[in-house]
Amino acid sequence: MRPALIRTAALAVKELAHIRRDPQMLAFALLLPVVLLLLFGYAISFDLDHIPLAVVDRDQTADSRALARRMTAGDLFVPVADAPSAEAAVPLLRRDVARAALVIDDDYTRALRRGEPAPVQLLVDGADNSTAAVAMGYASAIAIGRVEVPGGLPYAVRSRALFNPALRSTIFIIPGLMALILVIIAVMLTALTVAREYERGSMEQLFATPTRRVEIILGKLAPYFVLGLVQVLLVLTAGVTLFDLPVRGSLLLLFGVASLFLLAMLGQGLLISVVTRSQMLASQVAVITTLLPALLLSGFIFPIEHMPLPLRVLANVFPASHLVEALRAILLRGNGPAAVAADCGAIAAFFAVMLALSIKRFQRVVGA
Amino acid sequence: MSALIDVDGLTRRFGDFTAVDAVSFQVEPGEIFGYLGANGAGKSTTIRMLCGLLAPTEGRATIAGHDIARDPRAVKRSIGYMSQKFSLYLDLTPAENLEFFAGAQGLSGAERRRRVRDALEHSGLDARRDTLTGALPGGLRQRLALASARLHQPRILFLDEPTAGVAPDARRAFWRDIRAVAAEGTAVFVTTHHLDEAEYCGRVGLMVDGRLEALDTPAELKRTLVPGVFFTIDGDAPRADLRRALDGAAGVRGLQPFGRRLRVRLDPDAALADADALTARLADAGVADPRVEPTTPNLEDVFLELVGREAA
Repeated sequence: MRPALIRTAALAVKELAHIRRDPQMLAFALLLPVVLLLLFGYAISFDLDHIPLAVVDRDQTADSRALARRMTAGDLFVPVADAPSAEAAVPLLRRDVARAALVIDDDYTRALRRGEPAPVQLLVDGADNSTAAVAMGYASAIAIGRVEVPGGLPYAVRSRALFNPALRSTIFIIPGLMALILVIIAVMLTALTVAREYERGSMEQLFATPTRRVEIILGKLAPYFVLGLVQVLLVLTAGVTLFDLPVRGSLLLLFGVASLFLLAMLGQGLLISVVTRSQMLASQVAVITTLLPALLLSGFIFPIEHMPLPLRVLANVFPASHLVEALRAILLRGNGPAAVAADCGAIAAFFAVMLALSIKRFQRVVGA
Repeated sequence: MSALIDVDGLTRRFGDFTAVDAVSFQVEPGEIFGYLGANGAGKSTTIRMLCGLLAPTEGRATIAGHDIARDPRAVKRSIGYMSQKFSLYLDLTPAENLEFFAGAQGLSGAERRRRVRDALEHSGLDARRDTLTGALPGGLRQRLALASARLHQPRILFLDEPTAGVAPDARRAFWRDIRAVAAEGTAVFVTTHHLDEAEYCGRVGLMVDGRLEALDTPAELKRTLVPGVFFTIDGDAPRADLRRALDGAAGVRGLQPFGRRLRVRLDPDAALADADALTARLADAGVADPRVEPTTPNLEDVFLELVGREAA
């Protein structure tokens, strides 16, 4: 074996021993993905159903009753109360008995017959604006689902969500979750492990051996790279078994993209630790520069297209958004390498910059 | 045979501050070279330059023939280094520590296993090879650190304050190890602030404010820098009374507290340079029953003399 390999391997073995001696860290690294997945998958769902609905039918005709029935036919709305007027429905919303109220005006049927817009109103509880938005969306989708046009042919507007027909948010969330988990583990643990060598003075001891800086970096980070890939596998397996996550594209491509992203994150952790050289500071910087972009700027929860320009630029600089985009492409749309090439390029560029800055800083600090 | 450590005009400045100022010396194979000085005198900065960890501002040095500025990697292959702050990973076992440092030196396979086994046996750690290093007593830990710095059989050892925080018994055991290493022909460069330990060194360099103020064998340093006769004075009287009785007397070159006692250095030809004369002088000054014993100078006297000159 070549000496460079021997030295790098010795560092990796030592790092594994450190990890073994710290079972809490290992448990954190392996349980966090599963806990986050369960939390986001079951508890924090962006899908809403069984929205309690108050019905105000002022028309009391066959048509108006048909509309109310149609509205509550699925799981989306559940009729909880009837009210004689819109004014009477408001207290129901205020007391949280209902989250929405369907108000059908008394000339609904006549307007429909005349071919005029039929007055139907949906009152929603705007205090909970995400429920409000979802309720309004559902209601209009149901209402236009079948529109009778007197004197003409009845026609139907049918919409179909491709790739995620049930519009289940869990499936949409898992790629984002993967980004979140990888940034937490990869950046945080890397930043801590390198900063620890500085803090206990062992970095100098390492520098006094023939071990090169690049060997120190590779040897120390290799175990965390493997740990990151194990986490990808964990999230993927849990996603497929618990939430029917479809894997439409190539697994090889998926792991390729995840590996590239992991490298970028290890690079970022490395840069943080060689700059701060303190575990305390490194962990704080790691949280700010990884969790926030991964949560807020990755498209995980908030769509990037709707952000103001500066945030959009920032979101594109951080690799999390590109990972989320690429994973959605591979998992849900079944895209091939060509579709994720641009995102991979952006992640690779980030990695290259992190690595170059780290190595530059690593050398400068030692010479000082 | 040429010197294993050859230092010529080595200087390191940090901004306006000169940490090491034109230091020159040589260390031969088998020699224990003690590097003494107060904290901040430039000991660690010198050692870090000689280990290829820090570039010198001026001057040059070769380690086993390799220039420290031009070929630091060759320097690192030739040396074993025990740093002051860190020696071993406390959350690893002794065996894991040795395996790692052997690997970091590029040792592998059967050769590595053999040297790790030898090192464990030699430091008396075979039975405790799987306890965590953090659970070992300090002295044992330092012996293990010394063994780990020697796994690749370097010709030169740099030990930066190896006995800091180690109990006196364990310190003596550690120095036995160092002398055994030197007897095999290794050059040992050791810094310490325990002046009694410097007596074990073949030659001693004294650093004051970045300058190597004196360099010689302990005996020669004492003879040239603190000539004179030494006495210790003991007794029931408070030390302040003893001091008052002798301060400013003719021929008194120095008074140093030494435990409960007082050390006196006198010009050899002074009237008081005699146990009886000294006893009489103290009795005249009203000190009851002084016990005066002749003694020999030590390196602490040398060090204080040098620092005193510097201040004057």
